[in-house]
Amino acid sequence: MSGIQRFHPAFLVVELVSFVKGIFFVYFFLFVLKAQSTSGWVVWGRYILIAWSVWAIVNIFLKWRFHGYEVTERTIVLHEGVLVKTRRTAGLDRVHNQTSNTTFVHKWFGLTSLKLETGTSGDHGEIEFPVITQEEKERILSLIGLQQQENGSREGDEFFEAETVRTMRFQSKKKDLIRASFTSLSFLAIFPLLSAAYSNLAVFFNLEDGAEGAWDYLVLHWWMLIILFVIALLISSVIGYVRVYLKYGKFTISDDHDKIYIEKGVANVTHFSIPKRNVQAVVVEQSILKRLLGLASVKLISAGSSELESEETSSLYPFLPKHEAYRIIQDMLPHYEIQEEMRRFPRHVLWAKLLRPYYVTALSIAGFLIFKPTFLWVSAILFMVAIILRVLDYTFTSYIRHGDLIQIRSGALTTETFVTHKRRIQQATVTHSWLQRRFGIATLSFTNRADPTHVSELYGVSREEAGEFYDWYRQKSASS
Amino acid sequence: MYIHIEEPTEKISKDAVQMWRLTNTIGHAIALIIIAVLLYCTDYFHWYGWVSPVLYSLGGLLILSALYSILLEPVFVQRHWRYRIDEEFIQLKNGKWNTKHVVIPMEKVEYVRTEQGPFLRKYGLYDLEVGTTTSNHTIPAIPQAEAERLKAVIATYAKVRDEEEEAI
Repeated sequence: MSGIQRFHPAFLVVELVSFVKGIFFVYFFLFVLKAQSTSGWVVWGRYILIAWSVWAIVNIFLKWRFHGYEVTERTIVLHEGVLVKTRRTAGLDRVHNQTSNTTFVHKWFGLTSLKLETGTSGDHGEIEFPVITQEEKERILSLIGLQQQENGSREGDEFFEAETVRTMRFQSKKKDLIRASFTSLSFLAIFPLLSAAYSNLAVFFNLEDGAEGAWDYLVLHWWMLIILFVIALLISSVIGYVRVYLKYGKFTISDDHDKIYIEKGVANVTHFSIPKRNVQAVVVEQSILKRLLGLASVKLISAGSSELESEETSSLYPFLPKHEAYRIIQDMLPHYEIQEEMRRFPRHVLWAKLLRPYYVTALSIAGFLIFKPTFLWVSAILFMVAIILRVLDYTFTSYIRHGDLIQIRSGALTTETFVTHKRRIQQATVTHSWLQRRFGIATLSFTNRADPTHVSELYGVSREEAGEFYDWYRQKSASS
Repeated sequence: MYIHIEEPTEKISKDAVQMWRLTNTIGHAIALIIIAVLLYCTDYFHWYGWVSPVLYSLGGLLILSALYSILLEPVFVQRHWRYRIDEEFIQLKNGKWNTKHVVIPMEKVEYVRTEQGPFLRKYGLYDLEVGTTTSNHTIPAIPQAEAERLKAVIATYAKVRDEEEEAI
């Protein structure tokens, strides 16, 4: 293999653009919005900002000059650092999933970026190539494929033996995009638009009388208000649609025998792929609005990707009709069978939940008594909200165990259905408190690998079921 | 037995009670001394009026907590700690009012280590810490010989399990 490779010169452009994008608002704030200001922190802020920018730009050049990478058959070695040199070596077989993101700047140069996630959590969990040619990316990916294939066949794994035919599972159509732009509530942008229109009109119509006059004018000519409203609604819908189109347009989900591929975006194209055997769990999330519309967002939990990020990448199309989402999961991951019918807990669990201490309410009462006794009524509202949330939580919490799968659903406003395989559970815990023993119930919890660790907790399982869950986990699963 | 599960049986050392009494006494004594010093300073430097009632109530809470954690807690903790280590699982159980059962499969164990501070050394005890990919657990106060044996046992089982897991 060749020695250390430097990044493509476009690295400079990409890094500079992302730097300017990041710092633009600080400049805007200090030099435009606060242009007249002479107060100490603004002046000093400008000096610091300029110094910082110069340093950052020099650093980008130095990074390009000194950073590099080396790909061998089994490992990737990253050479980093300008003054303090570091070398990071990562085994190709450790790569859990990969994301490649093509921004506008990348497109101009016909380049792309690549991020490889290894199972390790922490800062050094990922290997990043900010700019890379398509061919180079393909080369690295094929090396990873080869390496993992070799490991796979050595371990007698049947994953890699089958032919690799990509099956298209989902392609976003116009209908999906409209649904998405509606669900993402982007049309609510109407309110800022309206207020902007209103304040402009106020100036336009009644320079001498001020805002009051404009309002009177609008009340008299109410038809104008309606037209304004409709126009604003249209504009914000269009804006919402365009935003959703840029982000989720050309969304495709496909898979072959061992991997799942997600591609999305029109302006910024993102490719994501994850080997099926690295999927640790499947999460189905539904907000209130999505529940009303029968939509669901499905996420794949894997050891490498952080949960925050998975919103962006490893999530299957976030606005799928629930049944279609379930069907796609079923087809791609036959091991993960999501059950629609789940058991709810008996009524006495609700009483147990309501009897748990109300910490927020108690704290707020104490706080208001000491500092602002006249605001004590806020505590009453907090108490009501807490009770409503607990009742909702009870209503949506449910649980089912079938075969080697465990499926739990919880959450008051946004429900989360979490499905995982016994073998993917890292540890299981059963706890019961004094109060729970009075009600004959227990809490069970288990953890899954993710970054950060995903802990699932379920309050209110009957004591018999808690015992069975414990034994179930200790029995060897049929498939291992 | 509240929940029908095969409960772990091994207990931690009886000396743990003495040790925790000693460490909790020292810890609370230090905290009380700090509060006393602060009270003296309040008086001497004329700090705000609300400082001394706050310090007094903190001191009162601290004395209550001292009574609990010196007289009662060590006995309860020692009496209710159970563990069991076999080829396939590590099982832990602790707590009287809030009882907690944990089960960790051997193949998920990443590391095992023993730890001994000055107070543990005084009683010839070790803490045994087991780390997995997602969390870590400490079994407190195990006699030295037992701790060494368990460390070796877990290391062996975990290694073997790991290789089996890789082969799947």
